[in-house]
Amino acid sequence: CRVSSDGKPEKFQPPPKPVIIDKQKQREERRFLSPEFIPPRGRTDPFKYYIERKDMIQRRRVFNIPEFYVGHVLAVTTADPYASEKSSRFVGICIQRGGKGLGATFVLRNVIEDQGVEICYELYNPRIQAIEVLKLEKRLDDNLMYLRDALPEYSTFDVNMKPVSRLDDEEVPVNKLQVRMKPKPWSKRWERPKYNIKGIKFELPESKMKEAQKWSQPWLEFDMMREYDTSKLEDKIWREVSEGLKN
Amino acid sequence: MMPIWTKSGKKHAVTLLKVQDCHVLRYISKEESGGKTSKLLVGGKNASPFFKSESAMEIFKEAGVPRKQKVSTFNVTDDAIIKPGTPLYAAHFRPGQFVDVTAKTIGKGFQGVMKRWGFKGQPASHGQTKTHRRPGAISTNKAAKVYPGKKMPGKMGNIYRTSYGLKVWRINTKHDIIYVNGSVPGHTNCLVKVKDSQLPTCKDCNKNPPFPTFFADGDEKLPEDLYDDEVFQFTDPSVTYA
Repeated sequence: CRVSSDGKPEKFQPPPKPVIIDKQKQREERRFLSPEFIPPRGRTDPFKYYIERKDMIQRRRVFNIPEFYVGHVLAVTTADPYASEKSSRFVGICIQRGGKGLGATFVLRNVIEDQGVEICYELYNPRIQAIEVLKLEKRLDDNLMYLRDALPEYSTFDVNMKPVSRLDDEEVPVNKLQVRMKPKPWSKRWERPKYNIKGIKFELPESKMKEAQKWSQPWLEFDMMREYDTSKLEDKIWREVSEGLKN
Repeated sequence: MMPIWTKSGKKHAVTLLKVQDCHVLRYISKEESGGKTSKLLVGGKNASPFFKSESAMEIFKEAGVPRKQKVSTFNVTDDAIIKPGTPLYAAHFRPGQFVDVTAKTIGKGFQGVMKRWGFKGQPASHGQTKTHRRPGAISTNKAAKVYPGKKMPGKMGNIYRTSYGLKVWRINTKHDIIYVNGSVPGHTNCLVKVKDSQLPTCKDCNKNPPFPTFFADGDEKLPEDLYDDEVFQFTDPSVTYA
């Protein structure tokens, strides 16, 4: 024990208590349920969605579909009867995830030799042989269709890009990139509030931005008929899917 | 409706039909019905017995079966007669056979001639006065009358229509679901009548059908899912072209 300058032994100081960060518990709290599992609002029997989910879980057991969001850079290899090696690989940024159930799709965009190319793949198509996530980053929007009117540098990704290494962290990083656009006219009027885009650096004059706000519909967020609370459904479906994938 | 993929990688759209509490209700012999073949009355989904008269409930009491929402007739040959009261299952059909599906189409109400019959109507501008979706002329001068059956506005939909020659891709025996190719008339969750196809090209498609029907208490134990030969099953690895 330490001896102070007095020569007498100091009062025993217990060491500070170690802070145990239970990483397993933290990992369990994060759940990701792919958006195509959540059934849309309609008059179809929920039993049909249950049957479809059984098929989807069966396919996921055999073929690994990684967790990905809009804004990730993916590489997809499909079986192609007309290609020389019977398989074709496409690398691109995911700009949109659509469809529910077995027909769920995602659109990958890339610019190859100055030509923008978008390919819409079906997640559960048996011809897909591999889906690799090359770069993980979420963007500020759910729908990156505005990349068609942005400068091509924002959609170009190297075809032989190596997967960016990433620890098994909890959070998926959000890229707050503000994209610069080509001069107007655009394919859609992205400045209008109905698209609610946060990821564009609008270089339009103030008068145009104010004019675009004329089309805003501020009552929509208070509309009770449009509310669709999926929390309980998601819980149930998450439990079902994790049970099915455990085996 | 769902997608289904074949082993060659092609995608087909498929409608799911559920066989819900079907029972045979009555046998009507050839002489009694006055037709060419004898008939079997089959009842569909269970419904409440309280809102029907006693005379209507007689058929169900005879067969010993709860009241059904829909009763339909099937023309049957004499060797395919089934005892009234037997339940019918989805395993009555096999994958690879062709089927006709009849149902009441979605009712659209009173509709004009352009939606109902596909008439072209008139141009939107260039001087048309109050005439953009009207039928125009309805008959000639010489006829001096309008022919019966002239296409005119009226109530559209809510009539029985059949789609013929639909292939059965898959059958789920546990939940009694038939996966039928293409679309089927009627709205979601409507009652539908499924028959073996009467098209001449589909006569020899069904090689070993369960005859007269599939009996659940019999010796045959079927797997939960029956697939057609060409259907890609999700237990297999991804499709590759050699």
